[in-house]
Amino acid sequence: MVKKISENEFKEAVASGIAVVDFSAEWCGPCKMLAPVLEEVSEELGESINFFNVDVDDNFELAEGYGIINIPALLILKDGQKQEIQVGFQPKESILQCLGKYL
Amino acid sequence: MEERYDAAVIGTGPAGLSAAITLKIRNKKVILFGSKNLSGKVEKAHEINNYLGLPAISGEELGKRFAEHLQQMEIEITEDQITSIYAMGDYHTLISKTNHSYEASTVILATGVHFGKPYPGEEEFLGKGVSYCATCDAPLYKNKRVAIIGSSPREEAEAEFMAEIASRVYYIPLYKEPVSLGDSVRVVEDRPVSIEGDQKVEKLILKNQKLTVDGVFILRESVSPAQLAPGLAVEQNHVVVNRSMETNLKGFFACGDITGMPYQYIKSAGEGNVAALSAVAYLDQKRRELK
Repeated sequence: MVKKISENEFKEAVASGIAVVDFSAEWCGPCKMLAPVLEEVSEELGESINFFNVDVDDNFELAEGYGIINIPALLILKDGQKQEIQVGFQPKESILQCLGKYL
Repeated sequence: MEERYDAAVIGTGPAGLSAAITLKIRNKKVILFGSKNLSGKVEKAHEINNYLGLPAISGEELGKRFAEHLQQMEIEITEDQITSIYAMGDYHTLISKTNHSYEASTVILATGVHFGKPYPGEEEFLGKGVSYCATCDAPLYKNKRVAIIGSSPREEAEAEFMAEIASRVYYIPLYKEPVSLGDSVRVVEDRPVSIEGDQKVEKLILKNQKLTVDGVFILRESVSPAQLAPGLAVEQNHVVVNRSMETNLKGFFACGDITGMPYQYIKSAGEGNVAALSAVAYLDQKRRELK
């Protein structure tokens, strides 16, 4: 499951393990397309990775802090440390391949 | 829910038309995107001497025969430019310039090779300040500086929209028509050379000047295949396919000039046929899996 979180929950949510944070917005078409694909990925990977969604409109500073200026963007963290950011829509296979190296 | 087509064919050159005809013969539900004028490249050919059965035919005449063939098969052309194709798993969602969305189980891409080369730095900074859709990312450029490269007057609306949000908008028109934009947009008559930066976009280099910007929006008439279909494997502007015209994405096929040289009409028509039959095989297999 992809859990929607806000700025004040962020730090605790990503503090341990692998976390994938989907930065998106209501008005962003490609974000809407990515959401169901990411949901499928999260189902497939079970509990090995935590998935979150952050709305950039409501959490502008958080997005800016990570230098996110194009969305959708997937921020990957390990124990709270940024590993990489993947920008743009991706098919399920590409996301699985990218996350594979953290499992 | 939207109507789900068996196949969406994009492109009305010999590859796309041949694919659409074969799919129709195989009783598949097809939507064909392109131009009612079919292909400019066919139209403009002076004389073609190696199209089987039609010796020394002019491009114009060949185009007419193509149109007649479509009419006979009752295949219609949807004139709506597709700007994005998303692989959703079991199907693909196609979004058009007019913001319509279409769903198809398979996609056959046959759009030819008329897209330009990317600017140096364009691919490197994609998603790091380079974007192809101003209306998509505009809110993230609040109080930032932006350059928009527009390939046609249609893109001026995007510049106006961006000017409502960004602190400074430069607009670089790549066309000769007069630009009509409000005072909030600074029109720069110059030629883009490259995009530079470190972690993110910092500068747009033009022939006669440098612009310090946080973002560069490149708005082109025709988009490169990798941009059109995120995740699609591309090698030097050509889509990577195997002998069955399969790409790296399941249910997604490509044919014609877009797959690489030789750029020949009959090769394109042949590949369109192969792509269509591969799509049929894929659809049949999926149907069997569902049973």
